[in-house]
Amino acid sequence: MKRQEADSSRYSFTSWQQICLITSTLIGVGVLTLPRTATSRLMEAGWMSPLIGSLGAYFSLWMIAKLSRRFPGLTFVEYSPLIWAPKGSPRLGKWISFPWIFAYLSFLYVATGMVSRIFGEVVVTSVLLDTPLEVIIITMFLLAFFLSLHEVDVVARVNEILFPLIIVPVLFIAIASFQKADWNYLFPLIRVSGKSVMEGAYEAIYSFSGFEIMLIFFAFTKRNDGKEKAGFFGILITMVVYTLIVVAGIAVFGFEELQRLTWPTLELVKSTEVPGLILERLESAFLAVWVAAVFTTVANSYYAVIYGLRQWFKKGLRFQRVVSGLLFIPLFIITLIPQNVVEIFQISSYMGMANLILNLGVPSVYWIVLALRGRRWESKEGKADG
Amino acid sequence: MGKRWCFFCLSLVGVILLTGCWDRRELEERAPMLAIAIDVDEEDEERYRMTVQIPIPIKIAGSTGQGGGGNTDAVKIMSVTGRTITDATNNLQLRLNQRLFLGHTRVLAISEEVAREGIEEILDGFRREPLIRRLLWPIIVKGRASSLLEIKPELTQIPVVYIMDLVENGRKTGIIPNKTLGDYFNETSNKAMQPFLNYVEANKRDVKWKGIAIFRDHKMVGSLPPVQTWTLLQLRDQKRGGDVIMPLRGHEQAFVTFRPHFVNTDLTFHPKQNGLEARFSCELQGDIVEVIKGGARFASPEDFIHKMEKELKREMESRAQTMIQKVQEQANSDILRLGLRLRAHHYHDYWVSHNWHKEFKNFPIQVEYTIKLRRLGMEMQQ
Repeated sequence: MKRQEADSSRYSFTSWQQICLITSTLIGVGVLTLPRTATSRLMEAGWMSPLIGSLGAYFSLWMIAKLSRRFPGLTFVEYSPLIWAPKGSPRLGKWISFPWIFAYLSFLYVATGMVSRIFGEVVVTSVLLDTPLEVIIITMFLLAFFLSLHEVDVVARVNEILFPLIIVPVLFIAIASFQKADWNYLFPLIRVSGKSVMEGAYEAIYSFSGFEIMLIFFAFTKRNDGKEKAGFFGILITMVVYTLIVVAGIAVFGFEELQRLTWPTLELVKSTEVPGLILERLESAFLAVWVAAVFTTVANSYYAVIYGLRQWFKKGLRFQRVVSGLLFIPLFIITLIPQNVVEIFQISSYMGMANLILNLGVPSVYWIVLALRGRRWESKEGKADG
Repeated sequence: MGKRWCFFCLSLVGVILLTGCWDRRELEERAPMLAIAIDVDEEDEERYRMTVQIPIPIKIAGSTGQGGGGNTDAVKIMSVTGRTITDATNNLQLRLNQRLFLGHTRVLAISEEVAREGIEEILDGFRREPLIRRLLWPIIVKGRASSLLEIKPELTQIPVVYIMDLVENGRKTGIIPNKTLGDYFNETSNKAMQPFLNYVEANKRDVKWKGIAIFRDHKMVGSLPPVQTWTLLQLRDQKRGGDVIMPLRGHEQAFVTFRPHFVNTDLTFHPKQNGLEARFSCELQGDIVEVIKGGARFASPEDFIHKMEKELKREMESRAQTMIQKVQEQANSDILRLGLRLRAHHYHDYWVSHNWHKEFKNFPIQVEYTIKLRRLGMEMQQ
């Protein structure tokens, strides 16, 4: 335990690195299908769904940040036993927190697999038509494996470097496509019931999953009080990007056509002409850059899983390296479970539901437990709350 | 040590930069279909006849040494039949030495006969194919669609380039609407809109743009000649359209030509006894480019401008009336985008209670033009 704490205090992420970490994890494969999923219930008002979805995401991230603030320098895996059991019996705490941690890590694990699968699916259907899907997935895994060989500070720096590469093209596409936009497609503003608004927001939730990696990464922050702020800006940037993409999608295609497009954002790229630019086929360039976005999603989540395991077993970097290599084998099998495109989208819809339950449920449970034990806790560890 | 590292790095750079691609496909090893034409097969009504144009790289002047020469040699035209479009494509592949490549297809010519029967099933394959660009131009051809690919334009080596330039230049000057495949998809998916496509006629040497073909539920139901298309463009897209050549009333040989430069159209809806009424108010700014007096006299330049503005307003409004009557009564297809505007801005008070598909035919539409004559060209005398 001592060794772990020494490890954690060695790294310190700046606020900007935290923002990059959150944003680049959130923006991934979701951005390619978001215009379709967001408009499936809300129709013209589909752009509201990332707005509402981000509220839920921020609330959950806020709870996570608050939890992490209470235990500075500790990851979820480390402080979870402290919440469940008194300090004297760490073993009991560990056993009670096992299901929660297991649920989180396995969700992240499966999500990583699904993201790689969707990525492979896009690449295979649109650019590399003759390449086997497996090759693309394995290449992505190798990249993630390479990141897992390093310590946490490398993850932060990689995200910091890739951040502009992720944001700029998506923003560029959204804004460049406005020249073909017909704003009449965005009206009427309100035609659906309140229930559909909630259902529509739910459709966007999967695109907002991924911030739960901060359960681990919030432990490595420089200042203890900037976490909520970093979370806020991380989600805000994502929300702006998502909303712009959905608005662009609706304004260019109209919501009815969006329902018929498998990868609406890709079609948006394909039908965008940028005057004065040499590249006529923007989609290849876009996909090439978009690899970075998927990589940060896959690698960050996978890293969080591996790092969680490493802390659970209280092992060092060598353990992390070996396990990250081994765990790719079952992950590869999970990735290949869905048999066709329709199944993939179905599973990602279920993942959205699981994500919603986990991210809102687990932090709430932890806060309730903390509140119930609160008085006793305060008297014993008054200084814990930074 | 340093030297060794230097050597290592250099050879690494060499290895990375000097790679080849073992499964490359050179440009010449592909058969790009520049244009596809779709007709009904003469022998079997159930089958489509697909004609494609494939360029021959070596014959294109400027590519390698001697080339050019004959005009028609630069492309190969092939024709196959098939039950569906993909079937025809596959049949074509059986006759070609290189792999067909759809990524460069720019023009999809569809014969009027096919268009009148509906083109939804033709376009399904184009929807699914990832290489197909949404920016390609579907064009309806009067008569046989393959005639569009068989023209010998002389001005360009590849006939498709001629057609592309024609549409592209027309689009830039606001004379020919830029209707892409993507637009067609959007407008057919949208329940409030109907699409239209460019309509051309080909003869041996060149192509003539004949206006637009109007569609309703994927079927061609009518067409508009160029003059009426320009009115449509002014009202719908605020594009300037072509010159207005107007005979002067009361004078037999007098003609005035007006060239619009700027168009500003407002579409508003006003309540009427049971329902709404659409009102287009279109402001045209432009110049007089030709006056053939034929005995007409004007008291002063002010008088001339005033009279011309009045005459042009009357002329444009009557053109618009003819166009709208044609669109509403003959075609019964909302290519004016009225439905979209109604759904967007009058959803609760109109759209929910009316079936636009049926209502459009009798929807009252008013058009009001405002003409602003700015200049008379280099000539000062009226």
